[in-house]
Amino acid sequence: MVFIAVLSFYPTVVTTIEAFFRVSPLDPPTRFNGLGNFRALFANSAITTSWVNTVVYAATGVVLSTVLGVAGAVALKRRFRLRGLVLAMVILPWALPAVDEAVIWNWMYDPNFGVINSTLRSLHLIGAYHVFLGLDRWLTVVLIEIVQVWQITPLSVLIILAALQAIPLDLYEAARVDGAGAWSAFRRVTLPLIRPAIAVAAVQAIVLSLNVFDQVYVMNGNAPLGSSLMLQTYITTFQDLNFGSGYALSLMVTVATVLLSAAALALIYRRAEAS
Amino acid sequence: MTTPRPGRRRLAALPAVAAGVLLAAGCSAGGSTIGQSSGGGGKSITVDMFYPSPPKAMLAKFTKQTGIKVNWVVIGWDDLQTKIAAAASSNTYYADATDVDWSRVGEYAKTGWFYPMNKWISPASLQSDVPQLDTFMVNGKLIGMPFDASFMVTTANTKDFKKAGVSAFPDTVTGLTAALKKLQKHGMATPMDIHFAAAEGLSTCWYQMTAAFGGQVLNAANTPQFTSPSSPGYQAMNWMVNAYRSGLVPKGNISEADYTGFTTEMAKNRVAMELCDYSGSVGSIYQVPSSSGVVNQVSYEPTPGATGAGANVANPDGIGIPKTAKDPAAAAEFIKWFTQTKNQAIWAGLDGPSGVITGFPLPMRLSSLSLLASSGKYAQAAELETLLREHAKAPFPQGAPPWYAQFSNSVYTNIHQAATGQESVKQAVRNIANQVAQLKASG
Repeated sequence: MVFIAVLSFYPTVVTTIEAFFRVSPLDPPTRFNGLGNFRALFANSAITTSWVNTVVYAATGVVLSTVLGVAGAVALKRRFRLRGLVLAMVILPWALPAVDEAVIWNWMYDPNFGVINSTLRSLHLIGAYHVFLGLDRWLTVVLIEIVQVWQITPLSVLIILAALQAIPLDLYEAARVDGAGAWSAFRRVTLPLIRPAIAVAAVQAIVLSLNVFDQVYVMNGNAPLGSSLMLQTYITTFQDLNFGSGYALSLMVTVATVLLSAAALALIYRRAEAS
Repeated sequence: MTTPRPGRRRLAALPAVAAGVLLAAGCSAGGSTIGQSSGGGGKSITVDMFYPSPPKAMLAKFTKQTGIKVNWVVIGWDDLQTKIAAAASSNTYYADATDVDWSRVGEYAKTGWFYPMNKWISPASLQSDVPQLDTFMVNGKLIGMPFDASFMVTTANTKDFKKAGVSAFPDTVTGLTAALKKLQKHGMATPMDIHFAAAEGLSTCWYQMTAAFGGQVLNAANTPQFTSPSSPGYQAMNWMVNAYRSGLVPKGNISEADYTGFTTEMAKNRVAMELCDYSGSVGSIYQVPSSSGVVNQVSYEPTPGATGAGANVANPDGIGIPKTAKDPAAAAEFIKWFTQTKNQAIWAGLDGPSGVITGFPLPMRLSSLSLLASSGKYAQAAELETLLREHAKAPFPQGAPPWYAQFSNSVYTNIHQAATGQESVKQAVRNIANQVAQLKASG
């Protein structure tokens, strides 16, 4: 309890309070700033760009990782040869550090020797090597998000797979007796029973997607093109030494994360309980 | 060092937030202690640097001489900047001596996070031997002591240029553009590397080209000097962006922030020149047969300017004593030893590989370079000495402004966007100037 209070509650309270103060070693002393930090953040085009980008990262991250998580879990539920090996391979992207994955994907996207360029060229789909990252905003966002989804999906698969394996086989048997086909059984038996797991998977995807930093930093640098809110928090706080604005941005991301997570839980988990 | 090894900086920044938060909470943030001398008379100092340590034997020698034991902790450049800011803000001890990047000098002068070193080192006595000293001075105060003499250089594969019919390396940008087009006709599709990723390397390259065009980006009052289309800064940006958009520069440079990526292109002969290369790269990279396919082909060349060879921008690293140091006097003793004429030459190879600090670009003292030149153990040492003495100039002669980080962010973001076609050079210049006005207004 003390541990949580010191490492979580205290910093949260300090961050919340200081978000309303002008805190910068370049502009002392610390003084009350009301909503000034928040106004400045919304007037900053790099921050607004990163807000939009982060919404896209979060929306696509949550939807794709959840859909792929369900699909992966259903596929892996069946017993087949080398299932253990496949499971281990599925987990690998989640187990690897995000930085390593971003570096690997950066190489794959590389405009000079990347495997994606060489594959597309050998398939005669492109005439010359392309620059994938850094020229077009949405292409950059999508390509970074692919890496993010690549990393967060395995955990979704595992969470949902655990729930799938806990469903009694009798229920499927009963459904089959009642004339339910595979799709109907999935919709009426599987889906309602794995909803709590989907809720948990969605929440982890929301938290990770809203806080995406590593992949963005490695693949996009400081360019506003594909920037995320966490990257802007880092820049504002530790490059610009504008701690007050950094606190304000952190607070906004935290509030957004809590609200969206709560909404996801309410939407999926409670409906599951009701059903 | 604001730009060298950007890749290392980029990756190194990742755990920075966590490190900073831990440090602010009073914990001792990590790093790997790779150089530790033993013995001594009880005094002990911690030196936090992004550089590898001097050889253990040398540190042991220092301990024997002074009784000061040195714990050298290596930490990534970005992590280190975060650590410095977080520790200073929370008044927490983390090291007795640490990095003072030239770009942070104004910031540290304003925040007072470092001791002025005048108490221990007389700047006047160094003026003639350390050309980049002014970069670390603010109002007569020496905020950090330069400990290397990195500066921007132009490196070119003279064999490629000759093959394309360019016998002498051009000394104007007009001549360079024409020469690069000849290289293209002779089969090198994108012959010139310039940084275009939204990172510090792009800002520094613009300062370099502005200096080569005969100007500087800010004057002594930190007023933008680049807003007029005829100004060197405007022309330099225009030329850089045109070079990218017209295909003289590899398109992939728009997202390539890793310095090793550029040197690899040069070493593999995919480009024929690096416009904003780092002093020391010929000897430490292009002349290394195991990793270079252009041995004996690359040389330092005067940077082309508007009407003739231009200046080179200094990009040195410094070391200073944070106000939270436990033993500032011992730290000063170490800094004096670390920057001695002979030791500087040893770090660069005077005594052979056993004394070298890996990645050390160039001694900050002319006297050390003279030692190296006379020993014949450093590639083009005499040429580098001339460049350092006569051409290396501070990007901000009045010292980097305290809001340098925000300024640089605006610079690289806008030039990057101009290169991608999201805005014009005119808009980029206007945006940067507006940012300067805002930063000046907010103090």
